[in-house]
Amino acid sequence: MSDASLITRDLTIRFGGHVAVNGVSCEFRPGELTVIVGPNGAGKTTYFNMISGQLTPTAGRVEKDGTDITRLAPSARARMGLGRAFQLTNLFPRLTVLENIRLAVQAQTGEGWGFFRPVSRLTALEDKARHYLEATRLAKVADQPAAELPHGDQRKLEVALLMAMEPDIYMFDEPTAGMSLDHAPDVLNLIAEIKKDKTKTVLLVEHKMDVVRALADRIIVLHNGELIADGDPGEVMSSRVVREVYLGQAEGAA
Amino acid sequence: MTGSKFIKTVVLLIWAALLFAPFLFQDVRSIEVAARICIFIVLVASYDLLIGYTGIVSFAHVMFFGMGAYGTAIALDHIGNGWGPLALGTLCGLVVAVALAALIGLLSLRVKAIFFAMITLAAASVMLVLAVQLSGFTGGEDGMTYRTPDLFKTATKLWTDADGKVVRIADVKLNGKLAAYYMVFAVSAVLFWLMLRMVASPVGTVLQAIRENEARAEGIGYRVVAYRTAVFCIAAAVASLAGSVYAVWLKYTGPETALSFDIMIDILLMVVIGGMGTLWGAAIGATLLVLAQYYLRDLMGVAAEAVSGVPLLPDLLNPDRWLLWLGICFILLVYFFPRGIAGTAMARRSVKG
Repeated sequence: MSDASLITRDLTIRFGGHVAVNGVSCEFRPGELTVIVGPNGAGKTTYFNMISGQLTPTAGRVEKDGTDITRLAPSARARMGLGRAFQLTNLFPRLTVLENIRLAVQAQTGEGWGFFRPVSRLTALEDKARHYLEATRLAKVADQPAAELPHGDQRKLEVALLMAMEPDIYMFDEPTAGMSLDHAPDVLNLIAEIKKDKTKTVLLVEHKMDVVRALADRIIVLHNGELIADGDPGEVMSSRVVREVYLGQAEGAA
Repeated sequence: MTGSKFIKTVVLLIWAALLFAPFLFQDVRSIEVAARICIFIVLVASYDLLIGYTGIVSFAHVMFFGMGAYGTAIALDHIGNGWGPLALGTLCGLVVAVALAALIGLLSLRVKAIFFAMITLAAASVMLVLAVQLSGFTGGEDGMTYRTPDLFKTATKLWTDADGKVVRIADVKLNGKLAAYYMVFAVSAVLFWLMLRMVASPVGTVLQAIRENEARAEGIGYRVVAYRTAVFCIAAAVASLAGSVYAVWLKYTGPETALSFDIMIDILLMVVIGGMGTLWGAAIGATLLVLAQYYLRDLMGVAAEAVSGVPLLPDLLNPDRWLLWLGICFILLVYFFPRGIAGTAMARRSVKG
């Protein structure tokens, strides 16, 4: 168990009387891409929010590399190497693509408090930012404001921002949401690239089953805020309890 | 020429005009206007760091300006007109302003923007009341008139010729008034330049990131409250220094010149007219509004004279109605330049001319 980079222990959060996430204990290891699935409202994003710090749990702990981070601010977690992308595009809209990425690079270097030397002369920052622009094939739109990019490029920028933070734990919340089938692979290939680096731990919330099959090393299933299945993708997807959850929802919706 | 270059050129021309103002416009009033423009450029630019760059709405900016002014004024009034009291007073004003900014910032920059704005409004009101009430210390409603270091006395001769008379260059006397003006100019120019450096540096981008998307800035590793508090303190420090300089220039400090909400409204108008989030806009807004405040009446007087034969028009152009016309100009400006003059121009790829 000591090889886990991220652990949640009995993680629970209540909103009034509603228990959104209930006692979820789980370990995530470097070199493993875990996909979190579950019907809408299962608590996947809430679970993510507690890990990355947007929400503080009612009970339970979050540990990163053995350190309790349950009550740390999101910025402190980010500086510790926990990087999270969001379900809805969540960028700095009026800043350029390059500026967006440079911000992420700069956050990790401690240059964020520099107040005298012009950004343009900090070439190390710029070079690193450009490196991630190349890696995500966004170099051509470097000087455009993020808000003016097509949706697919915005999603790519979202991933680029995360990569530029150089975290050791990546958290993606439906990275291909709203993307057309032609463009989704761009983002998925980037995630596959990240996965090749065996020192990285990747968590991914995803609905699309082909994505899950292509990328997952392991699947965990949340349902009504509880962890109901955890294991090898093939096994989990064919298990009865998971089929019931999904079919049950399909019937409920019909 | 791109819009951005155009605006920068205009601002550099404004600074050039201010540099040569005592020689270009040789009357007492012009030099008052020039000094006021210098100080308001700095004051408005420091406010732009808050509202334009970081998205913090504060109504306490005039309070920090007043703290600098009162700090310097009280020291000069109560201790004496030397350089020591001037430095001490300025430093005290600066320290109090930054400390209060830090306190307000840490206690309340976590709350929603509207509550923060209310808190700053309350703080500024309290400070205005205090300044009026503590009349033994601050001069109350009447304010304080005091002497500044001898170098800035009008009678001081910076340079004398063989007969002991003050030397003139291009008919301008090299006296203490000139020294005082160049002190105002130099401090203002340096502060403005420092702020330009700051917004072009990494911290400048972080501030904009906080304005654009606070949660995400926090999410990628920036302590948003720390940055906000820091910029609030920096803006307070600059405003306080501007206040100290103004106190030395005017040789008078009172609620009307250093703490009144009229000044806060002027700052807001200037930053909106000039365009938020560029600093260059602050310089343009401050220049235009100060010029309008001083010269619109004169201009209207001339216009009213010119149309004196026509019915109705002279009445409309009566100099007493200058505020009405200023208001109309302001509405038109906001209508045609919704992002301010600099904001609108810099967003364009190119402008004619």
